[in-house]
Amino acid sequence: MKIKLYYEKIRDIRLFIMLVNFMAVLFVNSVIIITTTKVCENYKARDFLNSMDTITWKPIYGLIWSLIIIALLIVSSYFREIVFEDNIVFTYGSLSFDFIISVILIFVLGFNFNGILFMVFANMISYAKGNKGKYILISIALISYLFTDAKLISLSYRIYDINDYFAYYDSNTHQYLVILLNLLISLNIMLFIIYCIFLIQKQQGTIEEINSLNSEIQKANADLKNANDQLEKYAKITEHMGETRERNRLAREIHDTLGHTLTGLSVGIDACIATVDVAPDATKKQLENLSEVARNGLIEIRQSVSELKPDAIERLNLDSAITKMITDMKSITDVEIFFDCKVDQMKFDEDEEMAIYRVIQESLTNAVRHGKAKKIWIVMDKTDYMVNLEIKDNGIGCDNIISGFGTKHIAERIRMLGGSVEFSSDKGFCVKAQIPIRWGEEYD
Amino acid sequence: MKKYKWRIIAGAVIVIALITVAIFYNHKQRNTLEVAIFAGSYWDVANANSYVIIDEAISRFEEAHPGVTVHYYSGIRKEDYSEWFSRKVLTGDEADVFLILGEDFNEFAELGVMKNLDSFIKNDSSFDESRYYETSLKSGQYQGNQYGLPYETVPTLMFVNKSLLNREGLDVPENNWTWDDMYNICEKVTRDFDGDGILDQFGTYNYGWTEAVYSNGANLFNENGTKSYFNDEKVVEAVKFTKKIADLNNGTRVTKDDFDAGNVAFMPLPFTEYRTYKTYPYRIKKYRKFQWDCITLPAGPNGGNVSAVNSLLMGISNRTNNEKLAWEFLKLMTYDSQTQSEIFEYSQAASAIKSVTESQKTADILAEDMEKNEKVIDNKVLSKMIEYGAVTPKFSKYNDALALADNEINDLISNGDNVENSLRILQRQITAFLKR
Repeated sequence: MKIKLYYEKIRDIRLFIMLVNFMAVLFVNSVIIITTTKVCENYKARDFLNSMDTITWKPIYGLIWSLIIIALLIVSSYFREIVFEDNIVFTYGSLSFDFIISVILIFVLGFNFNGILFMVFANMISYAKGNKGKYILISIALISYLFTDAKLISLSYRIYDINDYFAYYDSNTHQYLVILLNLLISLNIMLFIIYCIFLIQKQQGTIEEINSLNSEIQKANADLKNANDQLEKYAKITEHMGETRERNRLAREIHDTLGHTLTGLSVGIDACIATVDVAPDATKKQLENLSEVARNGLIEIRQSVSELKPDAIERLNLDSAITKMITDMKSITDVEIFFDCKVDQMKFDEDEEMAIYRVIQESLTNAVRHGKAKKIWIVMDKTDYMVNLEIKDNGIGCDNIISGFGTKHIAERIRMLGGSVEFSSDKGFCVKAQIPIRWGEEYD
Repeated sequence: MKKYKWRIIAGAVIVIALITVAIFYNHKQRNTLEVAIFAGSYWDVANANSYVIIDEAISRFEEAHPGVTVHYYSGIRKEDYSEWFSRKVLTGDEADVFLILGEDFNEFAELGVMKNLDSFIKNDSSFDESRYYETSLKSGQYQGNQYGLPYETVPTLMFVNKSLLNREGLDVPENNWTWDDMYNICEKVTRDFDGDGILDQFGTYNYGWTEAVYSNGANLFNENGTKSYFNDEKVVEAVKFTKKIADLNNGTRVTKDDFDAGNVAFMPLPFTEYRTYKTYPYRIKKYRKFQWDCITLPAGPNGGNVSAVNSLLMGISNRTNNEKLAWEFLKLMTYDSQTQSEIFEYSQAASAIKSVTESQKTADILAEDMEKNEKVIDNKVLSKMIEYGAVTPKFSKYNDALALADNEINDLISNGDNVENSLRILQRQITAFLKR
């Protein structure tokens, strides 16, 4: 609001400066033409020439050229401000043009009025970026004003003096004419100063506006931070709730599977205790049943345990998770593990990462538990759409590969992703898995 | 953009139309050469043929430059010329080529009315400035630059009343006579006939201190008007001599009537008057009661038979649109042998071109209208007088400074006693005036 008000004021002052300048230019020209006519009418031409320092340009030409230059200045500012409003090339071009024709106008007026420079610089300054540019232009304006001063120029060049024309009239008229010209000159300078003050105030207005906007942004930032903190708190609470839920689920799971099995087992064993002396055969059969139940329970527990995610992968990325797993493994056993990863970006979809992690985890467990291996090599490699995983050990291996919980589990997971797995046992156990990777999300 | 399209097109059309008009107007102007001259003679003698020379020159010029028209306003009198021309200067309508009155030259050169001709002179290979008399050429210079070229030039002669000298048993002096010769003659002829105690016959009329200064080889000012030399020995001698001559008259004022009545032996006279009143038809109008002749001015002890040479100058406007044509026309008027020869025929002045003034044709023209028994002035002598004549320096304060000096010195001649002292005081005054 404030800036817009300033903008309008500045525009008004600029228009006013233009008006004053055009009036002064026409005033100088009129004085020359009217005085010349009067001098000629009164047969005073020779005496009048005597009083002059040099001759003027043809007075009527002076008027015509002044009018042409004024018209050009109006046209130039019209095009600059209305037609090619945002054309930088035109803006700077037309401002330079203004400056040049104004200097010509000053020549035409015989340096008797050089205030037109203020008008040109008022326009220039309004386009200058930043206060520094404005100050530079203001100084240039003042310097060129000083250097086009009639008294200064008259030291090196012969120029006619408008005061010689004023001096033709009687002292009263003479005085009025001098006052009128000086009034126009002073008014012009005053307007220019007011204009500069307004411009600088406008600039300050802009700064204030920016400052207030800035503080608003800071306030919003603080609010956001606050909200973020609260959100974090909520997240912690939610996490805690998740933990509780998970614990409940585990409890339920344990209760459902282990509880069920153990209950059955304890009841069956109680029955066996009661019947062992009476009917040993029946008891033996019963114990075999119980053994079966216990085994089944164990399977069920394994299944439910397998659904629990490994802790590491949840927090870390795949690379670090694998590294951590290997480090952990090294710390509790005396196995040497070599991990050779040829994949640049270990970032895949969650299920793919999970599969890779699991395959390595199971293979390592198997190698240690069943193969009694001392050295394990893990090689990870990637072709276009496939991650090739090879885990090899120097353990005892096994002649007959049993589809146990471990291997079966590996095979199942990989099949779910549409990949393939191969187990072989020759001088140790070897797992070769090919896991297809979904394209496109690789570079996310 | 689109909504301004028609405005832009309209603006462009107007601008193009204005430029076309301006070019057309300019082209038309370029083919017309304006000349400013005045009617009659510059030298205040009657002249019935004032436009003959220019009309002739224009017709030759137009013939040589097809499509060019030369125009001048006729009927402007010499008395009105300065004001008329000043008006034209003020309104910016002055002619391309114009005559410059002597009293206007310094002012106009200072104001920049005339174009500096130095570059024309330098660049025109067909122009040889040494054809002019140096004195005449110098009179068109202002602060070392040529602003005008001499159209006519006029030396000052000494009018001798032959009848008076004969009556007194004296011969007309030779052309190499001196101040002493003049003083002796003046002393002899200054007389009171009727014995009423008032002198009736005089030695000189109008012989001023400046004439004496010129013929004693003295300068009053330097070229730029920054220095004056009024206490110079030669100037002192000249003023003393003038005072000595004036003292012969015992305070009686010699008038024009005395001269016209044939009671004065000598009077400085411009060459133009000699030409006018020595020849038909004007000879019957003036100085017909006695026989008269013209000789050089007497030489001072440090100078020669030198007198002032005046020139009527012609210049080119500083604001002319066709300076090339203007220069050509200026040359035709001031440099062309034919035009300059016509000056002897139709005007009463002399040509500033040495070869023209010294030519046999000129000698014939000078002899043409003379009566058989009259002694005709030799054009070789005339040429020498112009060549060695004195030219007044050109600076803006010259007229005022000279008027100031003239006033003081005339007072000194008629009333003063200590010439040296008075001139020292005057020197200080003039120096102060020049510095102001």
